[in-house]
Amino acid sequence: MEKSEILSMFDDLLELDAGTLKGDESLAELNWNSLAIIGFIAMADEKYQIALSPKDIINAKTINELIGLINN
Amino acid sequence: MKGIRISGIASAIPKGKRTLKDDEKIFGIEETTKISSSTGVKTRYIVKDGECTSDLCFTAAKALLSQLEVPTSSIDALILVTQTPDYILPATSCVLHDRLGLSKSCITFDVNLGCSGYIYGLWLAANIISSGTLSRILFLAGDTISRLISPSDRSVSSLFGDAGTATIIEKTDDESSQMIFSLGTDGKGKDQLIVPAGGFRYPKMQKTSERSMRKDNNFRSDEDLYMNGPEIFSFSLREIPPLINTLLDETQWSVSDVDAFIFHQANGFMLRHLMRRLKIPAEKFILALSEYGNTSSASIPLAMTHDLSRRITGKETIKLLLSGFGVGYSWGGVTIKCGANLVLPKLTILD
Repeated sequence: MEKSEILSMFDDLLELDAGTLKGDESLAELNWNSLAIIGFIAMADEKYQIALSPKDIINAKTINELIGLINN
Repeated sequence: MKGIRISGIASAIPKGKRTLKDDEKIFGIEETTKISSSTGVKTRYIVKDGECTSDLCFTAAKALLSQLEVPTSSIDALILVTQTPDYILPATSCVLHDRLGLSKSCITFDVNLGCSGYIYGLWLAANIISSGTLSRILFLAGDTISRLISPSDRSVSSLFGDAGTATIIEKTDDESSQMIFSLGTDGKGKDQLIVPAGGFRYPKMQKTSERSMRKDNNFRSDEDLYMNGPEIFSFSLREIPPLINTLLDETQWSVSDVDAFIFHQANGFMLRHLMRRLKIPAEKFILALSEYGNTSSASIPLAMTHDLSRRITGKETIKLLLSGFGVGYSWGGVTIKCGANLVLPKLTILD
């Protein structure tokens, strides 16, 4: 689970150019809406076979915190 | 359960068509494109004032009974699954009993379920027939969810459509005809898909009809449908793959044995994800929501009206797997093996 690999998946999810996100971005300043949350849950399921809970996702404030949900 | 078959399925939709152009007027082109490419919905059909669930189900029932040449006197029971009845009381199945001219010995009742409703209705009908008392059941499933939607709530406004359907289930001498069910519930999910006000827990009053901006950035009142997309998606991933695998095991089928998979047409993104996760080939997975949207309890039979015929021509028996899941949370699945002489009238439009 390379961080750069996960970051580029978030770039994709948020329709940003590859390599845009670094991890410390605040979700409140990105287009982090329910479509993005659903996309993230799907990504975690498909690529990492991890079941994420929406409650944990909603508590995250930055991209790094979201990455933490996959890496833990 | 053996010796039970589905003889026919028919569906009806209202005339009123909504398209992406209508959505663009409210949400703009960019937002509409984003939502539509996620939900997969391009058009849906909406009732106008004066058009109710019973009208849609009646239209479907007439088309089916006529094509099957089934006399109304031979119908032993009428089951109506709906979350949007014509009245709080009496049961809308009684209203339909009168309109269809059914006999006084006919048993009728309503069942309040949505996404899982079609599976539960089949289960009820199959169990009733299995118990030996009745032979032929008219099972209607329909909803007018559009009546519960706030037009400016982007999470639901362009997703739902209206429809009514009719299915005849009856006893058959063909012992190879069978249905195997798996059903479940998790009431912890009750708040994730809900119309909060208008029942008796939280009665209607001035403030319940006032629309306001909510935490999820959508504009609705407590009398409008609330749907928590992420929670429902998470629930589907948790419960549905094990459900489908259990069903396939119990039926001793593999994915390749099944002729068609028909899931509740909830949301394109979720369905495509489940299809990939369960390794179901796209050509076996019926999708109808692009045309009709999410039609609640009607979505599974409507999808069959839409695209089952061509898959069963030339076959003697067919093997289907149906699954409905969502509001409640309630879920169910069924494997059906029956004769391919299933009657599927063309889609009817409400007059």
